[in-house]
Amino acid sequence: MKCAQAVRLFGAYWDDETTQAEREWVEAHLASCASCRQEYEAFTRTLELVGSLPRVEPAPDLVERVLSRARRVAPAPDLVPARNRRWIPVTATAALTLIAGLLALPWLGVRNEARRETATRVVGEREPARLGPVADHSAPSLPAPAGGAPPAAGQGLVAAAGTAAVPDSLFDHSEDIEFILDPVKLQRGRATVTRPPAVQGEKAVISF
Amino acid sequence: MARVGEDDERAFAELVRRFQGRVMNLVSRVLNDRECGDDIAQEVFVRVFVHRRNYRRGSKFSTWLFTIAANLAKNEIRRRVRRRNWFSLNALQEILKDSAIQLADPTEGRESRMEREQLQEAMGRAIATVPEKYRLALVLRDIDGLTYEEIAEVLGIPGGTVRSRINRARGMLKRKLIPLLRREGEP
Repeated sequence: MKCAQAVRLFGAYWDDETTQAEREWVEAHLASCASCRQEYEAFTRTLELVGSLPRVEPAPDLVERVLSRARRVAPAPDLVPARNRRWIPVTATAALTLIAGLLALPWLGVRNEARRETATRVVGEREPARLGPVADHSAPSLPAPAGGAPPAAGQGLVAAAGTAAVPDSLFDHSEDIEFILDPVKLQRGRATVTRPPAVQGEKAVISF
Repeated sequence: MARVGEDDERAFAELVRRFQGRVMNLVSRVLNDRECGDDIAQEVFVRVFVHRRNYRRGSKFSTWLFTIAANLAKNEIRRRVRRRNWFSLNALQEILKDSAIQLADPTEGRESRMEREQLQEAMGRAIATVPEKYRLALVLRDIDGLTYEEIAEVLGIPGGTVRSRINRARGMLKRKLIPLLRREGEP
């Protein structure tokens, strides 16, 4: 048992990594045990031989070969976090934009929903289109144009379809004006009115 | 190394010059093959250059360098084992026998250069027969002179494991060299 313990301590003893007590114990054991002394001599001789091996010298052109190869290779991607963290402002901006968008979404969604609902309702209510002759423009709700003349062709150029987008609860459409538009032909940037033989037109509704 | 990280080629050349001997010695002794050791040493430095920006400042450069060298040496050993291109134990016994005969007369003055070379060759081959994980620890400790703590870092194992591996490697090596040592010790 003592010899086995001594053999186990040979390495630490050689490397001078034993405690004072261990060192004294090993030395005392080696002095009294010939077998362990012989074993330790073989052990130390082995390590001396290993340590006496000559250094394997590199070839004289190793540096040049390494440099030649290094010049041809690309550096590996940087895995160590860089000190100038450019991603932080970019990410922060993206995050803020996203948050702002998410916060604005319900509000936009409500408005769009309301508009869609109103549009559906208005279109549904006004579905029966009243396309007809110009005389129809003297409907009760239609104010008389200046001079009592019917609206000149081309006067009602603007047709707004925005009525459908306005909720009925906020605006009263009882005073809506309806225009009949004459067909307009665009030629080289100029609008020319071509009067059809019969009254034709398209209805547009403008609401205020 | 900081200058190498900033693409300073002259600094890199200086670094190679400073460490080439230690790297060459480590891989050549682990592989017991000088030519292959030269190739591996070259590869080690190329990898240092390629991964120069991944080197953690503050850590010891030599430890990082030896880690790369040890890993490449391990890969080479495993490649050889797969190819079954390793020399046989019988060949080792023959060389040990020849070396022991050559060393029958231990008188220092009569030891020829050839005898020394044969002894060194036998030692190199004996080291090469030690299993890889023990061999690396042995070479790092007894040939390259690293501390136990440095070896633990290079091999990525606890300090206690390093000690036990070195002890086992030394024991194995001693048993392999017994014929040589006995002859050498005879009058």
